[in-house]
Amino acid sequence: MSNSRILPEFELLVPQSVSEAVDMAAQYGDKAAVLAGGTDLLIMLQKGSATSEYVIAMGEIEGLDYIKYGKADGLRIGALTTITRMVDNNTVKKNYPALWQACKQHSAPQIRNIATTLGNVMRASPSGDCSCALLALGAAVMLESKNGRREVPMDDFFINYGKTARKVDEIAVEIVIPPVQNGVVSSFMRMTRTNFDLSKVNVAVQLDLSGKTCNEARIAVGAVAPTTIRIKKAEALLKGVKINDALLEKIASVVSKEIKPIDDVRSTAEYRRDVSAVLVRRAIKACL
Amino acid sequence: MAEYSVVGHRIPKLDAREKVTGRGMYAGDLRMEGLLYGKIVRCWEYAHAKVKKIDFSDARKVPGVVKCVGSKDVTQRPYNTTIMKLLVPEVFADVFGEIADLNIFNPVVKHQGDAVCGIIAKTEEAAERAAEKVKVTYEPLPIVMTAAEAKRKDAPQFTPLKPGNLAADFPEAFFPGGAYGHNTPDGKTPAQHMKEADLVVEDTFYCPRQKQVQMENHTYIAKYDDRGRLTCWTSTQMPKPVQNLIAELFELPLTRVRIIQAPIGGAFGCRLGMIGEPHACALAMAVPGRPVKVEFLREEDWVASESRASGHIRVRAGFKKDGTPVAIDADYEVLKGGYYTHGSGPPFCTAAFMYGMYKWQAMAMRANIWFNNMVPYGAYQGYGNPENTFAVEQLVDRACNQLGLDPVEWRRKWHKGIGDDTWLKGVKFASCGLDDCIDKATKAIQWDKKKKEYAKMKGTKLRGLGLGVMQHTSGAWPMLLEYTNTIMRLNEDCTVEIMNSCSDLGTGGHTAVTQMAAEALGWPMDDVHLKCCDSDCNGFDIGAHASRTIYCVGRAVTQAATRLKQELINRAAKNLQVQPEDLAWGEDKEIYCTWDPAKHMNARRIAKESIYSFDDPATGKTIGIPGQIVVTGDDFVKHCSPPFSASCAEVEVDIETGEVKVLSFVNAHDIGKAIHPPSVEGQLEGGSQKGFGYVLTEDIYYDKNGLCLNNDFTDYKMLGPSDMPVDMKAILVESAPDPLGPFGAKSCGESALMGPIGSVANAIYDAIGIQINEAPITPERVLAAIRKNGGVKK
Repeated sequence: MSNSRILPEFELLVPQSVSEAVDMAAQYGDKAAVLAGGTDLLIMLQKGSATSEYVIAMGEIEGLDYIKYGKADGLRIGALTTITRMVDNNTVKKNYPALWQACKQHSAPQIRNIATTLGNVMRASPSGDCSCALLALGAAVMLESKNGRREVPMDDFFINYGKTARKVDEIAVEIVIPPVQNGVVSSFMRMTRTNFDLSKVNVAVQLDLSGKTCNEARIAVGAVAPTTIRIKKAEALLKGVKINDALLEKIASVVSKEIKPIDDVRSTAEYRRDVSAVLVRRAIKACL
Repeated sequence: MAEYSVVGHRIPKLDAREKVTGRGMYAGDLRMEGLLYGKIVRCWEYAHAKVKKIDFSDARKVPGVVKCVGSKDVTQRPYNTTIMKLLVPEVFADVFGEIADLNIFNPVVKHQGDAVCGIIAKTEEAAERAAEKVKVTYEPLPIVMTAAEAKRKDAPQFTPLKPGNLAADFPEAFFPGGAYGHNTPDGKTPAQHMKEADLVVEDTFYCPRQKQVQMENHTYIAKYDDRGRLTCWTSTQMPKPVQNLIAELFELPLTRVRIIQAPIGGAFGCRLGMIGEPHACALAMAVPGRPVKVEFLREEDWVASESRASGHIRVRAGFKKDGTPVAIDADYEVLKGGYYTHGSGPPFCTAAFMYGMYKWQAMAMRANIWFNNMVPYGAYQGYGNPENTFAVEQLVDRACNQLGLDPVEWRRKWHKGIGDDTWLKGVKFASCGLDDCIDKATKAIQWDKKKKEYAKMKGTKLRGLGLGVMQHTSGAWPMLLEYTNTIMRLNEDCTVEIMNSCSDLGTGGHTAVTQMAAEALGWPMDDVHLKCCDSDCNGFDIGAHASRTIYCVGRAVTQAATRLKQELINRAAKNLQVQPEDLAWGEDKEIYCTWDPAKHMNARRIAKESIYSFDDPATGKTIGIPGQIVVTGDDFVKHCSPPFSASCAEVEVDIETGEVKVLSFVNAHDIGKAIHPPSVEGQLEGGSQKGFGYVLTEDIYYDKNGLCLNNDFTDYKMLGPSDMPVDMKAILVESAPDPLGPFGAKSCGESALMGPIGSVANAIYDAIGIQINEAPITPERVLAAIRKNGGVKK
């Protein structure tokens, strides 16, 4: 709903460094919104679903557009790294297929060219494709404030719809994903109404198949609760066992029970319940 | 078949370059000295409410605001956005119950997005900021969304002109029993026939409220100048009717209203009649001498401009064991939206196209059209036909399945053709290429081979094939006026200027009309220019509706071309001192005498001397024949030459998720003659995108308060390029040229949209053995249907 395309008035702050951005966050606190790609924030401001007296625009900070991989450090994704850059990156494609698929399938090319990977997480939408993959991959978000940096695991990052663990004086600077281990595989799947769309359900799975049985599993499902969630009961069923069709059926029924989807304009609760189970089963199969 | 030098050739579309480069000047691109910006203040928070008070005090304080325009500051004349009364005899309009129930700014909001008042400012930003600061006090009224709610005795009444909220039905005076259709000669009705049927299939289908979603939002500039003339730049489909309606609304003679048609950035019917022209003109009249621009936002366009009709249609169809179609009987409960506009039109056409397709012994369709608090429906490509197609094509396949008949053969046997009634009783088909369409479409999709293959399919992804046929129209005679006037003027260099106010909606209409004129003249394309778009110089044309441009305008320009050539022959005959019938056309505009080739002259000389007709200083004689050649072409076509098409779709249904993927699609279209083949193919492909949307993804959703839930691209989903089937074919069938159409042409404007509707729905049926009676056929609906049936029925 909208009667205007004119942005509300706000003061635009353009920090030149992370420390300057951190100072601004400290000074303006919850009166400030942080803008990276802006593909969500600007629309929300235009439509009046978000208001802000100050906008901290990160675009001019140098050195935040990076994808670095080290065997010890894992993958580090800078705050200004667009989703398209992720799609074009072979390390991401090879080592983190769930994240690569999420980036590749996310929304539309025009948005992927502008939107940042971290921005997708910071929006804290339960349908965020990058969020879903990152949760399954056991990633963390690096936050910086005047007091220094802290790393918050994705598991603890989403508090509620649109709300994260970021404190108002913090700026999110990078995504950290643990290094890949031999035998650890991942996959991502989503359901949309058309190809260029928000997910009505998305699923990411990471399995440690380095041994004869599944050592560990992480299953993330999006758009079925106020935040992207893990299905720990299903993960537990996978741990230490050999995966077969009967187990997959059991997991599927656990998934349907563990989620709390709603009816909305994009789908129905009933449908999301049915299809999340199918997608989890298929995503696990895709890893095998 | 005749060989043509221009018609049927794959020349570049005349406006291709400006569209591709983005240099075409749409209404939104126009800039003028002293331009002001108008913003319509709309009601966003209610779908039904009384406007109690409008407070402009804060809005006036916004820097740059020039004027705040309240509902009493503009004309109080009610109007109707459509042109029905310009299209039919007045008595018809009265019997059909046409009313004027809309105001420029409305004292009662009848749907979300209804216009309440206006702001004029020096900048667009100031206008929008001020509009947000207008404080409107509303008294909410109870919401009416369904037909059942509209019918209730205590339901709020939409207009005293239509007591009981019944906006329209099929008037008894024209339709005995309130039904469109026909009984058998013995007077037996479809209901009576149904008792003799061996099989009756019946279902109620939900038809969605699809939005045109043209690329260019509605945009206007209007100016009331110092001479007291009102000019409006608009991308309307119907410049002349809009000129008439604006003149009537503001009580001005036509000499004081000028409509300049800006290039149209897509229309699909949404620019049929008036949308924002009254508001732009009213704001302009509030600031005489200054042009005012009014540009809708996408979100505004969605809730304020007309959509497709939606509702529930119950259809019963009876058959004999051998497939003989006995009777069809239907009831359509239609949701009108807040205003009458186009009230009877689309449901009438649903019935008409149901009548025109198959050889039912008897047919009846009734419609009740109920006011409610949705955006009013209006015109949208297909105009009533998608509803008919979605229901009837599925029922035919259901009956064939139950009777053990082949749906391809059934259609081949029972579709109407030459000599049968078209969509209107008494008007007989003069051409029909449907059998060829069916042959070509089924062959292209490898019907027999794949049908066998898919019947044995197992697993979670099942494939199916579906066929759907349709018939449409070329213009809407004899229901509606189809007049076109063309003026053709010969320039001094022997080129031709055509003046006609026909519209090109992006369909290639202007290119095709120019091609037909060039062909009729026998001259190259470069020698012909079509001047449209300005009511100050163009004669009457009803506008682009009912897929009429090629058919009706083509007839008028070819007639004008014939007259112009005849005048050139007459003048040459005078000059050469022979009879006109002695002359013939040679190469390069040469006119020669058939029995004495030494007697010849060139049309260029006649053209030049028609203007530069001096007296020869040596002889004192006048050179040439003075007077520029200007001819007219007039056409009141007395037919509607319906085109047919057959479409085949191949789908894959994921029975675990309900997702439907269209793998391949073929639309074979009975075009008569493709004047500009690339445009026809473009129509077929573009129309398919909207047809797929109708059957698979598109509907406007409302919450319980009648507020729109998806007035933007985030949640109104149309197929994008990557969603379209990779394997798509448009086949132009030219084996049945129409005796009335120019060069044999029939329309391919609206008709393309129907192709996917029946074929995709039937392909889904073929894949899973279950029919889905609600469009769009979403994965949610497919999965629910599979569940309800306890699995697929393969």
